[in-house]
Amino acid sequence: MPTPVEDPNKEAFLARVRDALGRTSPIMVTPDHPTLKTTLPRHEEKIRTTKARTEARRSQNVARLESTAIAASWHVHRVSDAEIAANVVAEIASSIHAKNIVRTAEDIFKRVDTDATLRKRGVRSTVLASGRARRKDDLKEIAFKADMGVSGVEYAIAETASCAVFQRKGNARIATLAPPVLALIVEESQVLETLDDFFAIVRFQFLTNRGRLPNYYNFISGPSRTADIEQTLTVGVHGPGEVHMILLASA
Amino acid sequence: MRVALCATCLVDQFFPEVGEATVKVLRHLGVDVSFPEAQTCCGQIGFNGGYRKEAAEIARHFVETFEPYDHIVAPSGSCSSMIKVYYPELFADNPRMLERAIAVGEKTHELSEFIVNVLGVTEIGGASTGLVTYHDACHLLRELGISEEPRTLIQNTHGVELEEMPKSDDCCGFGGLFSVKFPEISTAILNDKISNIEKTGASTLIANDCGCLMHMRGALRRQGSSVRPKHIAEFLAEGLD
Amino acid sequence: MPDVKTSQFKSASVKALADSNIQRALGAPFAHFVDGRKSAIDADFTEESWESMRDRAAATKAHTIERLDYYLDLLDKNVRRNGGHVHFANDAAHANQIVLDIAREHDVKTVIKSKSMVSEEMGINAVLEKNGIVPVETDLGEYIIQLAKETPFHLIAPAVHKTKGQVSDLFEKFLDSAPTDDIEKLCIIARDVLRDNFAKADMGISGANFIVAETGTVVLVTNEGNGRMTTSAPRVHVAISGMEKLLPSIEDVSLFLRLLARSATGQRITSYNSFISGPRASTDEDGPEEFHLILVDNGRLNLLKDETLREALSCIRCGACLNHCPVYRKVGGHAYGWVYPGPIGAIVSPMLTGLKQGKDLPYASTLCGSCRDVCPVKIDLPKLLLDLRHKVVKSGAGAMPERLGIRQWHDTMKTRKKLEGKARLGRMLQGLVARKGFITRLPLPVVSGWTKSRDFPALAPRSFAEIWRDDLSGGDRS
Repeated sequence: MPTPVEDPNKEAFLARVRDALGRTSPIMVTPDHPTLKTTLPRHEEKIRTTKARTEARRSQNVARLESTAIAASWHVHRVSDAEIAANVVAEIASSIHAKNIVRTAEDIFKRVDTDATLRKRGVRSTVLASGRARRKDDLKEIAFKADMGVSGVEYAIAETASCAVFQRKGNARIATLAPPVLALIVEESQVLETLDDFFAIVRFQFLTNRGRLPNYYNFISGPSRTADIEQTLTVGVHGPGEVHMILLASA
Repeated sequence: MRVALCATCLVDQFFPEVGEATVKVLRHLGVDVSFPEAQTCCGQIGFNGGYRKEAAEIARHFVETFEPYDHIVAPSGSCSSMIKVYYPELFADNPRMLERAIAVGEKTHELSEFIVNVLGVTEIGGASTGLVTYHDACHLLRELGISEEPRTLIQNTHGVELEEMPKSDDCCGFGGLFSVKFPEISTAILNDKISNIEKTGASTLIANDCGCLMHMRGALRRQGSSVRPKHIAEFLAEGLD
Repeated sequence: MPDVKTSQFKSASVKALADSNIQRALGAPFAHFVDGRKSAIDADFTEESWESMRDRAAATKAHTIERLDYYLDLLDKNVRRNGGHVHFANDAAHANQIVLDIAREHDVKTVIKSKSMVSEEMGINAVLEKNGIVPVETDLGEYIIQLAKETPFHLIAPAVHKTKGQVSDLFEKFLDSAPTDDIEKLCIIARDVLRDNFAKADMGISGANFIVAETGTVVLVTNEGNGRMTTSAPRVHVAISGMEKLLPSIEDVSLFLRLLARSATGQRITSYNSFISGPRASTDEDGPEEFHLILVDNGRLNLLKDETLREALSCIRCGACLNHCPVYRKVGGHAYGWVYPGPIGAIVSPMLTGLKQGKDLPYASTLCGSCRDVCPVKIDLPKLLLDLRHKVVKSGAGAMPERLGIRQWHDTMKTRKKLEGKARLGRMLQGLVARKGFITRLPLPVVSGWTKSRDFPALAPRSFAEIWRDDLSGGDRS
């Protein structure tokens, strides 16, 4: 895809901004901003220490993620192996009397065989991937009719109980958005301590392998909610009102 | 130590008893108080109204009148904050006046702050009776950070019980020009304050600013309330009787 | 463009004070905002103190605004490298035209919208409708006021002034739904209608809470999920933002998310945060095929070129200043007459739509300073309001009675002699209206409003200066 062209109004617009700031010429060097001025080797070092710290504090981080998530209205399920995880997903489906669920085509499902456990309970599981000879519009329709969505995550952040879901091939956005119930499978090795850790990692990806960083990722940090009518809380407005976090010990 | 009393224009013309009380308290604490008679006003009314040229002239007169002294004491948080916080802005374009204004600002103190932080006195030695409550005037609290000092002096008055009102730091709705430019809003805010005052059951309302006091008194009186508003200087001076 | 009614603040505020529904809405629901924010700040979360966070955020915003041209350029290059389009709109009309052009190019019939204050500045909904395109607000509060044909009452909770009864009536009228006083049922009614729109809309228009220059990323902060829907389901996504919402690096985002969520809704983090850097990749399963970012000036240069007022551009639109303002808490958002209410609105509205028209707004404040205390990016709002008052006076727009009053005051306060002379005169005249040291009716211009609800003190029989001279000085006169 060709790079979109520059807006013909851009130069005049920026010139007016410059003028308002009392400058006649553009800034030619990277400004003195702590992050932007950091060299790549330095940032790489920061990532190394972040990863080491994250590893060393894994059990604390997981415990913190669990308590923060519960406080943020997640249903948290801690499981020791993949088979139990697959069963938990099926149990959740049963508890809501689900008939149809949708899932993404991520690698986690190679480890956690939800298709099998759901099938046993007569729940139909559809993979939301257009590669499976399915038209794009059908994805939306299927997702909007589904009772539950299941997906893996890229990371889970303990500080805020945020699951970072990245858009990729096989990972439709609508899977985690349209159905009224959502289950996210988090491997303990994916747990980060803080928002800062997450963005440091994202930045590193941006600097070293920009193509791999998707144009869309998002945090899910609890159920969909609103208090727009008389400041009274209602859950489950446009996104899932019931969110489950399945915390799986790493292989 | 040459200490000058800045009476403030409101005290000078409307509430001289506050000035008398301030002198009484300071003299009781061994302070030799002077009253530079040339004083008129700190200029805040003009500055707050957007009339900086006029305010600067009045402020210049203030600086000239008070700069010979070691300390300037004012029974008002709003005047003190005008001098200490806003004179530098008023004279930002006049380096010579700016220097003089900053010097004056540094030796200006609101009364309770002067007693506690400069004289190092936390107990005046007075006595009183009854339940009192205290209003945190906005400039005193948020521009000057003064909230403990007045409470210390009140609570250390023998026989007095201080009952905090709900939201003592909520604005009383005066805001100078605001009280007459938007009287309906001003009154609505004031009514909430009055309601919070009455919740305490206190017979006396104490505050450090005559602007706020005049505003609160205006409604308390109109509504036939028995709560008596007093400036902290009056309260402390009465305790010495 | 929505009508600018900033000149009607005084009459609108009086009306609001008499409106029991608005007064109810400004009571308990707002205590909820205030208490929620405080609890969220007091709760233990990270190593850094709230004050330190504010300091860093203020410094980051100041740094960015001072170099706005640089960061806008960096942003443009990165968004385009990601495959998105970037447009620079000079004003509301220009921005509207850009949106219409994109809509026409893609044969757009229906548009879904998530929250964008700038789009309110543009009056985009009316423009779309005039051009045969149906816009639907997806944020529940915005949807309610869209049905009611009103402007937002608050930055974060646009429909906070509506009772559930009023919402039920609106839904009954426009959606043919059964009346109900069950708030959850009302939300479900809206959800089902809007869900249908999500599935079918051709274009989604969103705002932007933050825009990261380094990676070309628009950050959306929501709780409902409508932000995700608006930017995921349709085939075209247009994000519209004021040009000042930039942050330099993706690593700046964590700080601002922490500040915004706590300041706005008392949450540690909102339910959804979307990070959008461009259109979908060809291998992606879903998402918009085209992404457009429109950066709007619309008068922001007026703030940018003023060294004192420039810091108003640091605003992250959290609404904390509104929630803590004694004036806003009495009159609500509509009285401010344009898109932005409260302390920040009193600065931004006159500077973007006209100082002369909006000249009352900077005066609609007691300068109590609560706003400054709660602003997550430490904007010195009272200082800016004072600066605007000075500008109003300098431009000759100061109210006549005030001008005359200040002239009198200035003349009086020049010397002690003048002051004493005028005071003597005042004492003589007040005998006509003063009783027992108070004046209960003062029908003079400017001050008459006082005595409608409050007693006014009379001048004391002797000034303090006289008392000092006669009784206290002991001969020691300065």
